[in-house]
Amino acid sequence: MIEMFQEWYENRHEYAKQWKEKTGGKVMGYFCTYVPEEILYAADVLPVRILGSHEVQDVTEPYIFAMFCPFCRDCLAQGLKGRYDYLDGIMISQSCLHIRQAYTSWQLHIPVPYSYYLPMPNHVQSPRALPYLVGELERFKRSVEEWTGKEITDEDLVHGIEIMNRNRELMMKFYETRKAEKPPMTGLEAMFMVVSGQMIHKDDHSRTIEDTMKELDGRNADRKVGQRLMIIGSEDDDTEFIKMVEDCGATLVVDDHCTGSRYFWNTVEPNGNPLEAIAKRYIERPRCPSKDWGERTRIPHILSLAKDYNAAGAILVQQKFCDPHELDMPAIKQALESEDIPSLFLELDVTVPIGQFKTRVEAFLEMLMEEDLF
Amino acid sequence: MGMKESEYWRWKEYNWKDEDADWKDFDIVTAGVDIGSVSSQAVIMGDNELFAYSNMRTGSDSPGSARKAMDWALKDTDMTLDDIRYVIGTGYGRVNVPFANKAITEIACHARGANWMYGPSIRTVLDMGGQDCKAIRCDERGKVTAFLMNDKCAAGTGRGMEVFADLLSVHIEDVGRLSFEIDEEPTPVSSTCVVFAKAEASQLLRQGWPKNKVIAAYSSAMAHRVFTLLERLGVEKEFAITGGIAKNEGVVKRIERELKIEALQTDYDTQIAGAVGGAVFGKTLVEKGKA
Repeated sequence: MIEMFQEWYENRHEYAKQWKEKTGGKVMGYFCTYVPEEILYAADVLPVRILGSHEVQDVTEPYIFAMFCPFCRDCLAQGLKGRYDYLDGIMISQSCLHIRQAYTSWQLHIPVPYSYYLPMPNHVQSPRALPYLVGELERFKRSVEEWTGKEITDEDLVHGIEIMNRNRELMMKFYETRKAEKPPMTGLEAMFMVVSGQMIHKDDHSRTIEDTMKELDGRNADRKVGQRLMIIGSEDDDTEFIKMVEDCGATLVVDDHCTGSRYFWNTVEPNGNPLEAIAKRYIERPRCPSKDWGERTRIPHILSLAKDYNAAGAILVQQKFCDPHELDMPAIKQALESEDIPSLFLELDVTVPIGQFKTRVEAFLEMLMEEDLF
Repeated sequence: MGMKESEYWRWKEYNWKDEDADWKDFDIVTAGVDIGSVSSQAVIMGDNELFAYSNMRTGSDSPGSARKAMDWALKDTDMTLDDIRYVIGTGYGRVNVPFANKAITEIACHARGANWMYGPSIRTVLDMGGQDCKAIRCDERGKVTAFLMNDKCAAGTGRGMEVFADLLSVHIEDVGRLSFEIDEEPTPVSSTCVVFAKAEASQLLRQGWPKNKVIAAYSSAMAHRVFTLLERLGVEKEFAITGGIAKNEGVVKRIERELKIEALQTDYDTQIAGAVGGAVFGKTLVEKGKA
């Protein structure tokens, strides 16, 4: 059952096209996980996250500056190559300038019937962020209603919240099994699980997590766990890299990625006002570094993840040219060191130099173990 | 007969053997084979004493280079490969050493090798290799505690220096000495990219700069490049440099100047540090019964 997630990940476009054919519904491509999918589910729209394909490409040069991060260029490349030609709309929530540029360039150069820019506040720690976002969500809801021709009632919103919350709770349960001394799945399998959830309908995904959970008991009992590592950083669905790390004699037990735990970590707490409850969830979720000001709330969160999942070391990855993450890394490294958790810093590109990274990962693992050598 | 113009970069390949030692007197004979991107070394040690080694260019085929390096190290001894109890493969081609018992990264091996060469007071090792550069911190046992590596570019590496030797028609062994035969220290070339730096150097030559001044400008740029790597890692004394560039006093002195720390000196061949580390690890594994 667990293999299903990888299958979805690898056949994301086929899934979306089939869903459209089957339901006649609209598909919305979104660029950032601050997009409130609850409202899209309330409108019976299928949200799919736009991600790259990790292939060398030469199509984006005229459309986005080469010093924008590899991830946002890879995303745009997918659009330029026509791989998302089934989308009925695209949208983004304000997070960083690079991904917003990918969105804007897409809007300019790749025809799509509907597009929406949601000005998610960056200063989420301000008491004024919540009322601001509630106002923006109301405006966004009206826009979706006009686009789809369907009124979104409070009941619809509650339904959207339920779909999202159920999926988040299940992902959390799935992650929690990784706290075990013998995690029943690899970090790669967990990555396929969480990233595929951003590509397919939540109901299909949730059902499959439930079925998978039944098969986890005693799974991977013979697999050598090696060093327990956590991985921290920006967007990361570089499965080839993850596989290389685990093949060197390690298991990734938890992450702080927007494609990973940050995506599902907290749920919407219903309070009678669905839009406000949704807004609150996005204001309070584990933050991306572009929104983690003035206090750096990511650090206590990361340290508690490391503790709860018993990580012996951490891999810090960021997309090349990613300023927000670059700014956070020294503080994260230092905080981990103060808890005796060594870290290895690597910069991700569209494709990564596996040979060179393997040397660093192996040397890092040798540093964590190999007491036999001395 | 003059050397072909394209071969100024070509450093001498060699082997060495301890003439006073008989390998049959050793309890444990181990070896380290370091297959780097530019050079390969095979080191044979008896009871952690250097017994024989070779140093040569890496060919296009790593297993072949490993065999050749080992054959050459064995050449003047009356040993065969079977007389070696345990072999560690290291370097970029570490998994392609067909006769190795185990592979260990060059980062761990250089720290351990430097610990053997320079003694247990060594805390920071700069390995300046053919195509990459590693700044390593280690403890008194030579165990790595932190490290940084340059990214995918040849700036600040041996390959970069080879390109310059070629451009200036200066033998690679003379580059360091000549870099000091100047009236005053020039401004470093601005770019650290080998290709761009080469273009910049060509322009300086056309402007009438003497060769030595261009070499000095490139050596300073290279020193500054690795200095920033060291600074990011944090340097603790004692400090030493391993790898081929450690033999280039022009770069070494300029690194020392920037760091305001003198690098420890050794009579050993700095290029074999990684392979030495491998052989030392091999002995430990044999002694612990882990071999």
